[in-house]
Amino acid sequence: MWIFFIVLAIGVVASGNSLHALGAIFLAAVIVQFKGETGPWRRSFRWSLYAGLYLLAIRLFTSIVIGVPIPGTTIFTLPRLSLPSWLPGIRIGGPVTLERVSNSLQEAVIIAAVIALFGAANSVTSPHKLLRTLPAHVYQISVALTIATSIVPQFISSIARIREAQVLRNGLRPRLSSIAVPLLEESLTRSAHLAESMESRGYGLSRKRSKYRPFSFSIIDIYFLISAAIISSVMVLA
Amino acid sequence: MIKFSGVSLLYPQARRTVLDSLTCEIAEGEMVLVMGHTGSGKSSLLRLVNGLVPHHTGGILAGEIIVDGLSTRTLRPGELAGIVGIVGQNPIDGFVADTVEEEIAFGMESLNFAPELMRKRVEEALDQVGLAHLRDRTIATLSGGEQQRVAIASALVMHPKVLLLDEPTSALDPIAAEEILALLHRLVHDLSITVIIAEHRLERVIGYVDRILLIEEDGKSHLGLPEEILTMSNLVPPIVKLARALHLPDIGTSTRDVRRATTQFRESLPDVAAPVRAFGAPTVVAENVTVQYQAKIALSNASLTLHSGEITALMGRNGAGKSSLIRSIVGVQKVSAGKISVNGKSISEYSSVERAQLIGYVPQEPGDLLFRTSVAQECVAADIESHLSPGTTLALLHENISAIDPQTHPRDLSEGQRLALVLSIVLASQPALLILDEPTRGLDYEAKERLAVYLRAIADDSATTVLIATHDVELVAELADRTIFLADGDKVADGSTIDVLLASPAFAPQVAKVMSPRRWLTVGDVLKSQQLSSE
Repeated sequence: MWIFFIVLAIGVVASGNSLHALGAIFLAAVIVQFKGETGPWRRSFRWSLYAGLYLLAIRLFTSIVIGVPIPGTTIFTLPRLSLPSWLPGIRIGGPVTLERVSNSLQEAVIIAAVIALFGAANSVTSPHKLLRTLPAHVYQISVALTIATSIVPQFISSIARIREAQVLRNGLRPRLSSIAVPLLEESLTRSAHLAESMESRGYGLSRKRSKYRPFSFSIIDIYFLISAAIISSVMVLA
Repeated sequence: MIKFSGVSLLYPQARRTVLDSLTCEIAEGEMVLVMGHTGSGKSSLLRLVNGLVPHHTGGILAGEIIVDGLSTRTLRPGELAGIVGIVGQNPIDGFVADTVEEEIAFGMESLNFAPELMRKRVEEALDQVGLAHLRDRTIATLSGGEQQRVAIASALVMHPKVLLLDEPTSALDPIAAEEILALLHRLVHDLSITVIIAEHRLERVIGYVDRILLIEEDGKSHLGLPEEILTMSNLVPPIVKLARALHLPDIGTSTRDVRRATTQFRESLPDVAAPVRAFGAPTVVAENVTVQYQAKIALSNASLTLHSGEITALMGRNGAGKSSLIRSIVGVQKVSAGKISVNGKSISEYSSVERAQLIGYVPQEPGDLLFRTSVAQECVAADIESHLSPGTTLALLHENISAIDPQTHPRDLSEGQRLALVLSIVLASQPALLILDEPTRGLDYEAKERLAVYLRAIADDSATTVLIATHDVELVAELADRTIFLADGDKVADGSTIDVLLASPAFAPQVAKVMSPRRWLTVGDVLKSQQLSSE
């Protein structure tokens, strides 16, 4: 599935057409809706959409306020700020042309689409599954990464919990150090426990590791790959 | 199965011996309870069995431990993975994967098992602990009891001969705890697995264990039948306290035995009128409070009133809405509907500083509030924060526990001492409302009793309203005037502790089970009645 989304993303970038990009986002949304994982990674698609929208807004704003003049139909004109002479080529304000706005919007949509596709890939297949498909010689690294990412949600909830407890203690916003100390202590204990648990389950004892449910290509995966290749090439050629 | 010969353990930095020349043997298929005060080396003893101590943690070890014919001296814990399985105190800390199946398979992957064998073993393990329906779930979304079962399954999947569990029930509600213990009991009886379990809440485990290993504070230890050990220990569950108080010839460990021995008391003793306590004005009034997270309703339409001077216990399974209710009362959780007022004013109208003055909150992890380098510094900071004369907090602490050296680092305190320190910090500003979240986790009976006496004094002397969220039925029976019971976001019971606890067999304290149908919750209640009859 990851490969599917990556191929799709390459197609979007290569075609450089915002309509195609929107189409790809829509397709990703449909896939996430029907094939999404349950669990914490599911939300990553939604977050990537928000990130894309945010990016779109920033791009729109900067394109209106700052920018190189592109000749064309003028929509409206902003008062132009005079900048010191050592900043040549940059203008703030001035006439805003339709071409300029649409051009930057298109760029933004494509970038947003790539982000969304990446998010969708995460939603559909958790990164942990991806790590498991990696070849054997990077497996040790992938195990370390899997464990590291599993801890992130716990880490975040610990911060929230400690912060809340301290706000309730004195009503003031806690300082960074006052959160950091209990958090550090907790993380250290936690990692000691984790190391203990891994050690007592035989981790690192044998040089070879086997894989539970090794990943194998199924028919569906192949369908998805072929369809992604077709969609991408259609986008580029069209 | 396990043979300790002359085992002594010493950590270089610590001043005292953890274990002193322990010699004993534990047979196959035995269930042994390790008991002792907080910090007495129960966890160290468990870790000795699979070699984590001293290979992983360091420490000086004398003597030898032989597990199934292998010495832990030369073998690393991993090499014993096929013989000894260990389940830590907080299973969530030891999880490496994000879904149930992968977690269970992890140990086998490390030892390079064939995939087909792994599939078979994972299936078996899932069935043994009854988790087959949750196999694809993300572990973080499971309840505490389910996580505990995942940890047990990850150990069982290696087909161990010995299973070690460190406080497996301390974070669980009574029902989930019962399920875990029943599971262990079955493993011992069906598969002849040797189970060693360290636990503070003896009332929960005492009926299941074959023998007890008691570790005293000087490192001396005794292994014996439950009756023998409990006769000599001062850490005893209520059922043994009852037997002692009534001067029964034998102490029993099961409800049934003690029930048989106490028939005459049940039949002859008079009823005691429940002490009538007068409470002050309402402190907290919550009306039709609903808390909703997106689609999930965490608390629906709950109303309650807490009076000044009253101690209320809040009970219910994990996820029943206890934390949502507490967080809305202290004002950090926005309620979707309804309103909450403290001292006649809506909680949202207080500034956060006023709120902190009004409500003392002791979090589940008291350590969250401690970040300075000594007890004295914490106390000084609390004085400044609450605008008190210097020394108030420290004096309050010493009133509660005298034996704390002010120069100790907060992390070096025992659980009970740390709780006492946080209580003093929180109480220094004399809040009208004191809220404690799961305060007795990791406390031994003595520390718990001190806590109960202290809280009772606070409620009586300064008319503080106390709200305790807890799974600890015995604490509730001893301490609470009123009990509120939540289930799945609904308030299902709210009344005097005696009525609520006696109404549900799963939540009845030991004394009540023994003395049913008489309405006695604690040893104190029975003694009062005895006193009444002799007058």
